[in-house]
Formats: sequence, C-alpha cells, structure tokens
Amino acid sequence: MAELALDIQSVVKRFAQHVAVRELSLQVPQGAVYGLLGPNGAGKTTTIRMILNIIMPDQGSIRVLGRSNREPKLLDRVGYLPEERGLYKKMQVRRLLRFLAELKGISAREADKRIGPWLERLTLKTAEKDWGLSKVDELSRGMQQKVQFIACLLHDPDVVILDEPFSGLDPINAQALKDTVIELKRRGKTILFSTHLMESAERMCDSVCIIARGEKVLDGSVEAVKSEHGIRHVAIAVANQSTDGVRSLLDDPRMVKSVDDQNRFFEVELADGANPQELLRRVVALGVPIERFELIQPSLHQIFLDRVGAKGVEAGVTGHG
Amino acid sequence: MGKLWAVVKREYVERVRSKWFVIATVLGPVLMAAMIVVPIWLAVRSSTSAKASNIVILDATERDLGKVVAQSLGNDIQGDSSLARVRRVSPAELAQAESTVTRDVIAKRFEGYLVLDSASARGTTARYAGRNASTIPDMEKIERTVEQAVLVNRLREAGLDAERVQEISRVKLDLKTERITDQGRGGSGAGNVAAAFGASFVLYMLIVLYGQTILRGVIDEKNSRVAEVVVASVKPESLLGGKVLGVGCVALTQLAVWTASMILIVKYRAPILARLGAPNAPVPVPDVGFSAALTLLAFFVLGFVLYAALFAAIGAMVSNEQDAQQAATPVTILIVMSAVFIQPVMLNPTSTMNKVISWIPFSAPILMPVRISIIPVPWYEILLVMLGLIVACLVCVWLAARIYRVGILMYGKRPSLMEVARWIKYAR
Repeated sequence: MAELALDIQSVVKRFAQHVAVRELSLQVPQGAVYGLLGPNGAGKTTTIRMILNIIMPDQGSIRVLGRSNREPKLLDRVGYLPEERGLYKKMQVRRLLRFLAELKGISAREADKRIGPWLERLTLKTAEKDWGLSKVDELSRGMQQKVQFIACLLHDPDVVILDEPFSGLDPINAQALKDTVIELKRRGKTILFSTHLMESAERMCDSVCIIARGEKVLDGSVEAVKSEHGIRHVAIAVANQSTDGVRSLLDDPRMVKSVDDQNRFFEVELADGANPQELLRRVVALGVPIERFELIQPSLHQIFLDRVGAKGVEAGVTGHG
Repeated sequence: MGKLWAVVKREYVERVRSKWFVIATVLGPVLMAAMIVVPIWLAVRSSTSAKASNIVILDATERDLGKVVAQSLGNDIQGDSSLARVRRVSPAELAQAESTVTRDVIAKRFEGYLVLDSASARGTTARYAGRNASTIPDMEKIERTVEQAVLVNRLREAGLDAERVQEISRVKLDLKTERITDQGRGGSGAGNVAAAFGASFVLYMLIVLYGQTILRGVIDEKNSRVAEVVVASVKPESLLGGKVLGVGCVALTQLAVWTASMILIVKYRAPILARLGAPNAPVPVPDVGFSAALTLLAFFVLGFVLYAALFAAIGAMVSNEQDAQQAATPVTILIVMSAVFIQPVMLNPTSTMNKVISWIPFSAPILMPVRISIIPVPWYEILLVMLGLIVACLVCVWLAARIYRVGILMYGKRPSLMEVARWIKYAR
C-alpha cells in the first residue's frame, strides 16, 4: 500500500477575478479516509473538480492511483458524489443508474446485476414497492440522495470522492452514508471527502487537510494534527481515598505544568516535552484504583477555528477572496 | 467510444420513449394524409354543389345569351336545368330587377343572380352576386359557362346549326405537366415543386424542433446539476457530441417514419379515397431519385449538426429558459430567414441572388434542397456548397465544444459576449 491513491503537487487554479487554489499539495495514501476541511469558498470543490479532470489546473500535477489523471479510463476507477446533487429528473431510476454505470465503463448487463442489490440495501426496493421502476422526480429528496449515492458507487471504484456528502442528509441517511464509508474502508478503498462539519470529520477520518482561501493550512493524520495542536490536558480521577498519592505525583514540574483540582478529578496541563503515557505509568505504579485517565485533546473544530481564523486575517491583508 | 455510445443511446431512447415523440410521429402522417386526401375529397365534394345552378339569370343582352347559359348549367351531371331561371329584362329595368332578385336571395329562394348585358354578349364582363360568390369552384363554373355560351352564340350567328355548335364547342382541357432534366423526361413538374416545398419545410421544422430540444436538454442538464456527474465520467465534448448525434437520430427516425408513410399514402391513396366515397384522383408524384434523396439527407444531417451545435452552445451559456430564448434569437433569425427564402427560391431558382443565398452555409441546408428538386443543379455546385457547409459545421462544433466545456459548469448571470470570447480562448 505504498502507492498513493491521490498525489497532488503544487496545484494552482486561477479564475478571472481570484485565485481559487494556490500551491496546494496533498497526498492521500491508499485505503485512507481523508477529510478535506475548510470554510465555504476555501477551494475544496475546485480542488475536487481538478482531481476529476472536470477543470484543469493552471499549474501543478495531479496523479490518481499513481497515474496522471488525464489518462483515459483512469477516472473510471473513481466514484464522485458532487456537492450539488443532480439526476435526470424524467428518467427511470434503473435506467439512469445503468447509464451512469455505462459512463464508467460498466456494461449495461453488469450494471443491471448490481443495481438490484444496491436498491435493496438502501431500502429503495422493498416487498411492496420497487422505486427503481419509478421516475427520479417521483422520489422524495432523501431517496434521490440514495440514488445519487448508488450512482457514485455502482462501478465499485477504488477511490471515492464525496463533496460535502453530509449536507442536506437526514440523520438516517447520514448514518447509512457513514456505515458505507466505513465498509468501503474495510474493503481497502480510499475515500476523500470534503466537509465543513468537523465532528463527522473527526469521527471518521484517518487524515485531514485543512484549507482556507485556496491554501493549505495544515494536514496530517488526525492524531498528529491533534497532538501538534494539543494544549495537552489530561484528566485523572482515582478512587476517593487515594487522591493524596496522586497529588504528590503531580508535583513533579518536569511532568506537569499546572494542576486544576476539579474535586471529582484533576485536570492536568502537561509540561513541555512530557509524555502522557509516562504519567499514566506512574499513576498505575501508585497501585490506586484508576477511574479515569483521559487525554483531553482539542477538537478539530477548535483547531480549525484557531488556524483558519488566523489565516482569515492574513488573507484579509493580502486582499482577495 | 463506449461512453459516447452510452450518451447517444440515452438521448435517443429517452426521447423516442416520450409521449411527445409518439404523438408527433403518428400525427405527422395523419396530417400528411389529410393534406393529400382532403383537397381531393373537397374538390369532388364542392363540384357536386348544385348551388351554381340555383340562380336567376337577368338577361339584358337581347340575344338570348341567358338561355344558353341556363342550358349549359343544367347540362352538367350534377346540375338541374329546372333550377336556373332566366328573366329577360331591358337594360333600363335592370336596376329594378336586381333589387327584386336580391330580396329573393336574402329570402333564400335562390343562391344568387347573374347579370348578362351587352358587355357579356361581347364576351368582356358579366356580373354575379350571391351567397356563394366566394366559392371558387362555383364561380369558375359560371365563368366557364358564360364564356362557352358567348362562343356558342357567336357560332350560331355565324350560321352554324345548334347541334354542330354543341359538338364543336364542347372542350374540357386538363393540362398535364412533365419535367425535363439532364437525364431526360420524367415526373411531373408540379410534383417536384410540391416535393421541394414539402422537403424544405420538413427540414426546417425538424431543425427548429430538435435544435430547441438540444437547447432545452443542455439547460436541463445544467439546472439539474447532472452535467457535473456526467462530465466527471466523460469529456464534455463527448457529452455534446453524443447529445447532437442522439437527438439527430431521433429526428432521422421521425423523418424516416414520415417519409415511409408519405410513400404509402400516395401509393394506396385509391383505397383510402374509395373509403371516403371519393373517386381516385391523380396526385402529382415527385420524381426524386435515389441520389437526389441521398443529397437531401446529407443536407439535412449537416444542417442539423450546424444548428444543433449552435443551440447547444447557447444552452451552455445560459441558466434558464427565458435567457435561452433571448440568447437563441440570432440563431433563430438565421434559420427563420432561410425559411422565408423558400418561396422566392422556389419561384425563381436560377436568379443570382437566390443562388447566392442558397450557398450560404446557414441557409444552404434548407434552400439547396429546394433548388435541387426544382431545377438541375450541377454536381460541382452541390459539392462546393456541401464543402462550405462542412467547414461551417466544423467551425461551429469547435466553437460550441469550447463554450460548452466552460459554460456547462457556470451558473448565474448570462455571460457577455466578451466573457464568451474569453471562454473560447481559454477553454482547455
């Protein structure tokens, strides 16, 4: 799995009035769930469109599964769920799905074989009703979302790109989408999705890239990003009678910067360079019953606000966006 | 290639399955049948009208012209000699007699009245007033009858006896026309004019209808945002090409159904007319050879591609139907102008101006077929015009592809011409 699923190098895209993406580089390893995070107008959709060769970058290169994304048929291995969902309204669902599969190089016969199970899986086909035989505009919005999702995955792509997949989804569909993403990952597929919803990104992603105003703010695995930005707080709680031992332990200034005694637990700010695992070992060595030992990391949301907020000010100075 | 085929297939199948297509395809031949059968049926019907005989003849000629007219009117198969009444009046009493008989006509005792005076006897004028004054067959019949009667009177005065006069003066001529081309004689001239008009009109109609279909299709794909899903899988050029080909095939299907039913209707018109209780009548059959038909088809295909590309480019530029109608106006004017020139070109296919107009790529698809059907056009001229049309097609398709590539993902306000020029320049 050394090969990268996506390798974007110094990509630049300018539009008439502004620069949508500047010098963006990012690498997505195969089998990863990768989040492309950023506020509206950050250049997420432009980046995704460039990956899919819908628009061409002015500079830089994009490789998908180790090959240039301009190679014919390569993008047949990529599934795409655009932010603005779109289906032919007057077409029958099955025929539409067959058509979209054919565009990805799947034969009509093979597509027909796959459509049935997918419809059943997303409850578009039940004992009473087969929505696959209805026209798209007879379906509810939620059902149309499901159809769009099937269209994105019907050709069993190795790389799945979802642009704001959670926007406009009801909780049930959002859950179904999350389950499917996890299942795709289990099957070794690579998933890249853009979102501005940090909670879902934090729960699902292995790695993230935060961009703002067309530029990368940070990227890396979720753990790395968090530890890098962690204020490194640890919450420790032990059975009531053993608190004294812990207190003496926390007096070590090489380990602990400050302690906030919260009565029910201690909130500890670690000293620079201190390893929380070492602290845990020491607490365990005390031999007291531990009720809680938790690394309190800042949420992606917090990091996002900190970093993008600062970036926004800079961008304001340079005067675009 | 497989993907282009998938797009072509979708465009074709989805449209051919639509109710609108089925209705139009079936309605076309029905209308055509009506165009052929109804006039014949009406002609037969209207000539059975006995109204032309149910008139009063005010005879002020003092030469008994009225009596001869009345006889001839009655002599017709459908006529009834007892119906036409002759009233001899002196020229002075004419005004009085006319007002009397006008009241009779108003009271529906007669259909109308015919005034014959000394001018009628000389064969220059006659007057008719009546309820059926605007019925062309009736009026033609009365006119012919009076002419005939004048002739009969003259012959009698020249000393011929009545029977000889009848014999000599009975003439009913039907002019049959035939066309001569470089290949020799064949077909009827009238048939070819009809074919030229019919073919150019059908081509015009199909180009307008299906050009609009493409325009709407592109806007629909843009508005429903499905374009983005599709261009993530195929090149925009393939989507554009597939759309033009697919819709073109729909138009060709319709053309084929219409042509086939036209041929069948002309061939089996006798039984159809018999069903309607009308005798068979000769229909001018056009003389369109295989190569001429092939030329027509080539002009249609090229013309369709030319206009389809333009309509698609316009669809890509705009985001809603209202803007589309406005933006499409220049293209619509081009095609409507071509249709406006159908008649002048048909009437005078050899004039220099009409020739030049039929060479312009935007009007050639509609006007060249007209000229080819009516007069022999040298093959090199056809070839040159077709080459020009092919070049125009390539240019338009190239421009359309560039505009399409950029426009299909653009939403919001209509771009200015400058912006479109920029799209064409920078589209990659």
